[in-house]
Amino acid sequence: MANSFENYQRRKLISSYFSVVLSIALVLFLLGILGLLVLNTKKLADRSKEQITISVFLKENTKEIEVEQLQKTLAMSEYTKSSTYVSKEEAAKQHSEDIGEDFVDYLGYNPLKNSIDVKLKADFVTAEKVEEIAATLAEKSFVDEVSYDRVLVSMVAKSVEQIGFWILVASAIFTFIAVLLINSSIRLSIYSKRFIIKTMQMVGATKTFIRRPFIWQNIKLGMIGAAIALLAIAGVVYYLNTNFQDFGLFDEPYILIILFVSVFLLGILISFISTYFATQRFLNLRTDELYY
Amino acid sequence: MGEIVLELKDASIFQKESLVLSEVSLKIEKGEFVYLIGKTGSGKSSFMKTLYGDLPLQKGEGHIVEFDLKTLKEKDIPFLRRKLGIVFQDFKLLPDRNINQNMLFVLKATGWTDKAKMDTQVLNVLEKVGMKTKGFKFPHELSGGEQQRIAIARALLNDPELIIADEPTGNLDPQTSVEVMKVLQEINKSGRTILMATHDYALILKYPAKTIKCDANKVFEVVQRAV
Ligand SMILES: Nc1ncnc2c1ncn2[C@@H]1O[C@H](COP(=O)(O)OP(=O)(O)OP(=O)(O)O)[C@@H](O)[C@H]1O
Ligand SMILES: [Mg+2]
Repeated sequence: MANSFENYQRRKLISSYFSVVLSIALVLFLLGILGLLVLNTKKLADRSKEQITISVFLKENTKEIEVEQLQKTLAMSEYTKSSTYVSKEEAAKQHSEDIGEDFVDYLGYNPLKNSIDVKLKADFVTAEKVEEIAATLAEKSFVDEVSYDRVLVSMVAKSVEQIGFWILVASAIFTFIAVLLINSSIRLSIYSKRFIIKTMQMVGATKTFIRRPFIWQNIKLGMIGAAIALLAIAGVVYYLNTNFQDFGLFDEPYILIILFVSVFLLGILISFISTYFATQRFLNLRTDELYY
Repeated sequence: MGEIVLELKDASIFQKESLVLSEVSLKIEKGEFVYLIGKTGSGKSSFMKTLYGDLPLQKGEGHIVEFDLKTLKEKDIPFLRRKLGIVFQDFKLLPDRNINQNMLFVLKATGWTDKAKMDTQVLNVLEKVGMKTKGFKFPHELSGGEQQRIAIARALLNDPELIIADEPTGNLDPQTSVEVMKVLQEINKSGRTILMATHDYALILKYPAKTIKCDANKVFEVVQRAV
């Protein structure tokens, strides 16, 4: 009876849908996790970059008004994350604590200078930019010396660059494999309908008309796959957030939202493109060629 | 002189590189009924495939309805096929849906939108071939002859100017053949042109009409008695 045939067909369809959905879900999950990694390496890297301090040492005779002026300029510059005035007394106290010995008493005077400690925004922590900023600050007449840890700056900048590069390479390879994987399972599901596609052409249907239901079908599968992937990613985010609070995953919730939306759109896009090309392939074949 | 529906001039029909028919020249006027006969493998189907764009016309000239076969672009092929009613030798029904859905697919694909009109038209053509009650069946649940009648019904859906039927009675018993033939005759009477490949000489004798023959790589008109 028609009914059992329909059931059989439905089961066959569901199993081919299953592999499409599964490959989409798997691939998007991996990409999403990779995306999470990229967003958070940037955050971690930025955090370590923003620890780097430029110390601007002031001359003994600097007037208070000049200090204030410099602080105002700094506050208004785009590269400043924060700037604090450290008097030489405070610096001496800090230094004494560090070395565990009261060197001011021992020397009989305080050799340190008043200074302003500037912390930079992450985007400005590259060897060249720090150099440039330091040079500009050093030009001021009341500035005695500008110092920072050159080695640290170039090391941080370089290693972040390297990590970023490798993550990008990994993402590119992943995306490529992703598209291949999804493409081949979609192609397989369309391959099984190649004679039907040809027959549709025989009765006067245009390519667009034939393609439309296939595309819509696979976009739906793409959305289901993306939804599964997003659930899994949400699970991972939740787990990381409860177990490693200081990652601060929810610090900027809009980044997570963008990540989730992109994963979803990527699912739709990949299934659309794969279906388009897979159907195109069979639409362009002549009847004879379908048998090979 | 009537309007020319189909005209070939010195055309050659190829299957891949091998020549099946050559120097084919032929004119069919609007409203004619034409039989195409010839031995198995003589090239009847190949000839018809060239007419509906499944094989390219590589040599010679060809005009069918308002299309030029020589310059036919791939994107025009669907629109050529909509002007034709094609009954395929191997039926070409869609196996994944029932007969009604098969019919509705063709209507939707060729631009019908009104659901009620589509349903009426499907019943209409199924009735013509006596298959009105089988709409809910899947193609594989029908006998060969029943599938063939469905294929004929499908060719009638868009009331085409030219019907190209490749052995439309090939799987039918003599009585049903005659019934199908009556349907085709009726359509022919209403002004449609029909080109029909057949091996059924009894039918030709019963309903005499212009007959062309494929033989020895050539196509020529035969006088009725010489069949
Ligand atoms: N797809 C194909 N590729 C190569 N050769 C083919 C192909 N189809 C048919 N042929 C060859 O072309 C010739 C004509 O075949 P065709 O199908 O047109 O014959 P026919 O007259 O329709 O025969 P029948 O009466 O059996 O339907 C045959 O010799 C056949 O072997
Ligand atoms: Mg044939």
